[in-house]
Amino acid sequence: MSPIISAAALRELIDVWIKSGKQVAAPVSIAGRLLYQRIDSSGQAVLDSALRPANSIKDFVFPRHERLFGYRIEGRQISLTDPKPEERDQIVIGAKPCDAHALPILDHVFAWGSNDEPYERGRRRTAIVALACTAHDDACFCTSVGSSPADETGADAMLFDLGNGSFELKAITAKGRTLFTQHAQPPATEPRPSGSAPAPRFDPAKIRAFLATQFESPFWAEGTLACLGCGACAYTCPTCHCFDIVDEGSAAEGARVRNWDSCQFPLFTAHASGHNPRSNQAQRQRQRMYHKFAIYPEKFGAILCTGCGNCARNCPAGLGVLGVLEAIDRQTIKTDERQPVQT
Amino acid sequence: MITRLRETCRRLLDQNKVQVVIGYGQRRPGAAAHPVFITRPEDVGQLTWGGNCFANLTVYLKRKEVKALGKAALVVKGCDERALVVLEKEAQVERGDLYVIGMACDGVHAPKCSACVVRTPRFADELIGEAGSAPGAASPAAPDLLDVLMAKPAAERWAFWKSEFSRCVKCYACRQVCPLCYCERCIVDKNRPVTIDTSASLKGNFAWHITRAFHLAARCVGCGECTRACPAGIPVGLLNRSLADTAKGNFGYAAGMDPAAEPVFGAWSSSDKEDFIR
Repeated sequence: MSPIISAAALRELIDVWIKSGKQVAAPVSIAGRLLYQRIDSSGQAVLDSALRPANSIKDFVFPRHERLFGYRIEGRQISLTDPKPEERDQIVIGAKPCDAHALPILDHVFAWGSNDEPYERGRRRTAIVALACTAHDDACFCTSVGSSPADETGADAMLFDLGNGSFELKAITAKGRTLFTQHAQPPATEPRPSGSAPAPRFDPAKIRAFLATQFESPFWAEGTLACLGCGACAYTCPTCHCFDIVDEGSAAEGARVRNWDSCQFPLFTAHASGHNPRSNQAQRQRQRMYHKFAIYPEKFGAILCTGCGNCARNCPAGLGVLGVLEAIDRQTIKTDERQPVQT
Repeated sequence: MITRLRETCRRLLDQNKVQVVIGYGQRRPGAAAHPVFITRPEDVGQLTWGGNCFANLTVYLKRKEVKALGKAALVVKGCDERALVVLEKEAQVERGDLYVIGMACDGVHAPKCSACVVRTPRFADELIGEAGSAPGAASPAAPDLLDVLMAKPAAERWAFWKSEFSRCVKCYACRQVCPLCYCERCIVDKNRPVTIDTSASLKGNFAWHITRAFHLAARCVGCGECTRACPAGIPVGLLNRSLADTAKGNFGYAAGMDPAAEPVFGAWSSSDKEDFIR
C-alpha cells in the first residue's frame, strides 16, 4: 500500500511549493465553473471535486500564446532576441487522469522529426500530480478509448481520495517521489474506493471500421450539420495541439509568436490563392475524426483522445467529438457502400 | 406543445411546404436540447420543446450547408425571433423563404433570460402555446450582473474585464453562435495583413472583445448565446447589453423589437444632435 496524506497536509505542502517559488496550477472554481488555473495559495485549489474542469492542462506546457523570439530591423541590421525562458518548476496538482494521459500523447507529436524546444522545456519543468476520479458526468467516456478513472499514464504521482479527508499517495516517477519525500505518511490500511467508470458509449472497433471505408459517406454532411465551426472543442481538448505561427508588431519591430489553432476554422486550410481544400464544415469535422482515430493511431499507435468529454461538454451545439462518435456508432455500414479510403 | 409542434412539422414536410425543420432534439433525459435538422416526416418524433432549449437556431439560417437543404421551418423563442427581425432588416434572410414556428417560452436558463423582454414570438407563421408569465420572471432571485457591474467605478470595471479576458482562449464560440456575426470573413480572420492580434494575450483578447461588441452595437438582441457558449465562463454578453442600453438611451432603439424602426446604423436624420452628420 502507498502512504496516505491528509488533505490538510497536502494543502500545507502546496503552500510550501508556492512559497519556494514553484508555479502551481490546480482546478479552481470560477463563477460556478471549474477551470485549471495558476494559484497563489492552496485555498484556491479544488481537490475534492468529483467532476473535471472545463479546460485542459495543456495550457501549462503548450500555452495558448507563446513568444518564440523578438525581432528588430534597423537599416540593414536585423537583431533577434530570444525570450527569457521560464525556468521555475511547475506543478499541476489535482489533474484529472484524462488530462495527465494526454501529455505522453502530445510528447510524440512535439518530438516527431525534431524536438520542439519550448514544449520540451515546459514538460521538463512540470510535474503532474493526478487525482483519480470518483465520479463522472454525462460527457465522460474514458472507458471507450481504453483509459479509466484511475489511469496513471502521464502522472508523476497519483492521489486517490479515500473519502475521509485524506488521500492515498502513489509516487510514480522520480519527479513525483521528489515532491513528496518530506511528507511520506504511514501506509494506507484501507482499500481505495473504486472509481465510478462511465459505461462504454461506442464501440471503438466500429469507429475504426467506419473510418477505414466511409471517407466519402454522406454521413459526414448529415451528421455534422449542427457544428458551428468554433474552436471550443479543440481549445478545451487535452490532446488537440495544432498551432499557428504569426508575426505581431510592425515591420520594424515585433515578435514571432505561436498561438493555438483549430482545424475547425476555415482559415486553418485557406491557401494564399484563395482556394480552400476543406471548403465546408463537414470536411473539417471529418478531418478531425480521422486525425484522432485513424491518422494519429497509424503513426503513433495510440488514439488522439483520452475520453475527457470536454468537446461534448463545451460544444454550444451539443455535438463534440463524442456526439459524432455516437452517431457513427449508430450507422449501419452496408457491404455495397464500402469504399476505399482516399488519401 | 410538443405534440402540436410535431404535428405542425409533419404537415409542413408532408405537404412539401418546407424541406427541412430546424428545431430542438434531446439525446437523453436531463441533457440540454441540441439542434436537429428534420427532413423526413417520419422523423418529427425527434423534435422536443422545453426549458432546456437554449440555442438560438436562427444562426443556422446563414450556414450554406443548411441553406442547401431547401426551404426551412424554424423553431424560435421570443428572443430568437428578435434576431430574425434584425437579419431581415439587414437583408440577410427573406422572410418569405421561411416558415417560422414560434414557441411561447417560459424561460430557459437564468443568465440567458436576464435581458428577456419578449417571451412570446410576435411574428411567427404559427404560434404554439399560450403566452406565459411576464418576461424576466424566470430569474428574479439573483441581481442582474450588468446592474452590479455598472454601479462600480470605471477602474473596478476595467479590473473585472481584465480578469475575465485573461481566461479567453479565442475559440470564437461567442462569434460562431451569434446569429448576427454573419460576416463572410471576420476582421480577426483577415491576415494579409493582420488587423487584430490573433494572440490570446490580454491585448489580443481586449482587441477582439471590444471589436466584437462594437460590431454588434445596436444590433445585438440580447439572446445570451455568446455567454452560454463561452467555455471559459466569461459573461461576454454584458458588453453587448451595455451597448444596447446606450442605443436605447440615445436613440430610443431596441434591436429586433419593431420591424418598422430604422436601424441606428442604417439610418440618419438631419435633426441628429451631432454636427458631422449634416
